[in-house]
Amino acid sequence: MKRRLFVAAGVAAALTGVAACGSSDSGDKDKPAASGAQSNAPADGKGKKVTIWVMKGSTNDEFNAAFKAKFEADHPGSTVDIQVQQWNGIGEKITAALASNDAPDIVEAGNTQIAGYAASGGVYDLSSKVTELGGKDWIPGLAGPGKVDGKQYGVPFYAANRVVIYNKEAFAKAGVQPPKTRAEWLETTKKLNSGDQQGIYLPGQNWYFYSGLLKDEGIDLTTKNGDKWKANVGTPQGAAAATFYKDLAANGKGPKDQDEKTQPETVAAANGNIAQFIAVPGELDTVLKNNPALKGKYDFFPIPGKEAGKPGANLTGGSDLFIPEKSKNKDLAYDAIKLFNSDEMQVKLAKALTYVPSKTTQVAALEGVPGAQAQALGAQNGFVIPATVSTNWGAVEETNPLKPFLTSVLTGGNPESEGKKADEAIEKVLNTKS
Amino acid sequence: MSASKADAVVATPTQPPRNDAPAGGSSSHKRPRRRGGPLRLVSPYLMVAPAILGIAFLLFYPVVKNAILAFKNYGRRDFTLGLSGEWIGLDNFKEIFQDSEFWEVLRRSFWFTAINVVSIMVISTLIALMIMKLGKSMRILVLISLVAAWAMPVIAATTVFKWLFRSDNGVVNWLLVQLGFESYDGYTWFAHGGSTMFVIILLIVWQSIPFATLTIYAGLTTVPDEVYESARLDGAGPVRIFRSITFPMLRPIFLLVTSLEVIWIFKCFAQIWAIAGQNGPLNEVSTLPVYAYQIGMQLKRFGMAGAVSTITVVILAAMMVVYFRQLFKQEREAEKA
Repeated sequence: MKRRLFVAAGVAAALTGVAACGSSDSGDKDKPAASGAQSNAPADGKGKKVTIWVMKGSTNDEFNAAFKAKFEADHPGSTVDIQVQQWNGIGEKITAALASNDAPDIVEAGNTQIAGYAASGGVYDLSSKVTELGGKDWIPGLAGPGKVDGKQYGVPFYAANRVVIYNKEAFAKAGVQPPKTRAEWLETTKKLNSGDQQGIYLPGQNWYFYSGLLKDEGIDLTTKNGDKWKANVGTPQGAAAATFYKDLAANGKGPKDQDEKTQPETVAAANGNIAQFIAVPGELDTVLKNNPALKGKYDFFPIPGKEAGKPGANLTGGSDLFIPEKSKNKDLAYDAIKLFNSDEMQVKLAKALTYVPSKTTQVAALEGVPGAQAQALGAQNGFVIPATVSTNWGAVEETNPLKPFLTSVLTGGNPESEGKKADEAIEKVLNTKS
Repeated sequence: MSASKADAVVATPTQPPRNDAPAGGSSSHKRPRRRGGPLRLVSPYLMVAPAILGIAFLLFYPVVKNAILAFKNYGRRDFTLGLSGEWIGLDNFKEIFQDSEFWEVLRRSFWFTAINVVSIMVISTLIALMIMKLGKSMRILVLISLVAAWAMPVIAATTVFKWLFRSDNGVVNWLLVQLGFESYDGYTWFAHGGSTMFVIILLIVWQSIPFATLTIYAGLTTVPDEVYESARLDGAGPVRIFRSITFPMLRPIFLLVTSLEVIWIFKCFAQIWAIAGQNGPLNEVSTLPVYAYQIGMQLKRFGMAGAVSTITVVILAAMMVVYFRQLFKQEREAEKA
């Protein structure tokens, strides 16, 4: 769940979108495979296999099984092989696969990494299919990064926003309500942090959250000056954001030198003694799976902003799907992408894992799903880091200078001078010609 | 005790057992055996051919390929589409030499190697000397422990070290607090370049000690007891014995182990990457191989990465010249003897 996108105007536009883009789309919502029916007959799948790489945690077994059953029924004789990939080292694995002769037919990639893969020339151009796929309704934060030099390589898969997941009992016991502003949040968290209970479990290296704080201070993580990228961590705003992070994290025992990846397990292990943590809503399922005793104890609220009524800026994560140029069954692969893109599968996936679906028109179908509302509210103030269009952004994320930066601020380092170091490292990577 | 005598004894461990025979005969013995037809002449070459071909394919080919890459502009497009890349002469090297980070990494690679190798050699020698003094059962116990530590896979050991030094529930912090160092409560070892480097060095030294110790110990067992006895009768203390007898006699072994450790440490990648690659201050602990990896695998500038690794190979080769010169010198002396 590494990537970001702005659902920005997304959800807001969703409402108008549904109304504006006509009866056909909104009416199809409950008719499975309606979008498939509009287009040509399914590709011949006899004896052919479609290999699909999805990332760990992106889908679940039920969804995979449902997808496989549906696709194989539509394409008699074909088989679908969904292979779950680990996040660790995925960039190298995909790069190697794109150059190999047995590339998968569909690859899921974080939306920020499409630019790098597309620049390699190993990704199939889907520009001509955008209309057929209903591309006008795609959320911009997924569709935008999937488009490189005017060509659409990535098809939006799903999006997810970070929200605050909180323990209702702990809040009731302390007599506090979900906060509306940052100042309130700090106060509430302080109150919650008592005895065995941690006010918030926030590991030191959640750079997604930090980027949101930075955006709330009014600046982007990166800006472009001419043809040079500039990073803005070592600024007074960068320091203010880091200081807030530090103050908030101090109300708990999150490890200062780790990122958020170990989080849900740790929360589950703490037996309900963690009052709040920041994650995408779907991660609550992991917590509950690890510790079923916590069922029903948690709820969600959007990350608070500086003023009431405006949630904090939200760097949202999401993925696109693409077809490698070396895929041997491009027709069949495209049909599979079409199925992933269908309202039926999108809503199913969004409900199962509490995602923001890939089209603004599909959001309405999620009413009443826990966490969806907080996520949608956060999405109203979503944003994207400008440098994600750079082919080198993937390299920035792989050894992210923001992680050691945050750790050193949390362990007493000077935010501005440490920030300047991080800026230098980020700029060096972004401004390298490759 | 003449120096040549010492050398003759010492030649034993590094050479086949036939040299065990009293000095003087080895080369003249061989001549009469060389008889027979042309098949007998080529058969030795045929026998080593598979090994030579294997080495050529696994070592020589990649090194040459890498060196060629160093003179090309070879990026993600060339790699994915299987293009051959564009020749750019020395541009990659020029760019590297202008990068201040390269010089910083290079300096760090040298002192990193120096600290590690010196620590490994000193500690290993002390342990090897200690094993010589131990009784049988303790000796076996120590040897088993060494082999067990040696057998531990690199990444497994690295993961264990990461756990040991965790800030929130790591054993090291717990132990230090128990010992009264309260400031280590929740200390973040991987927050700073210095302390991260300390953990990496500790890990590498721990991993390297078994090989060095066992090899030095093997050498020590070949030194005849009488030599020590007579030295002791002459009134030499332990330090003097080590300086005047043990070290000179085992010099080839020390040289061999030191050279191998220099190679291993200088090209060490996995430990640094696994400790600091994801969450640590990588830019403050990276050495040449890590730097090359970042340029190649992350930035996808394979040509540039080829140039960095070619530089690494050249530096290593230059350092090894010392070892090979000594080796050849020793062989010449053994032949003369």
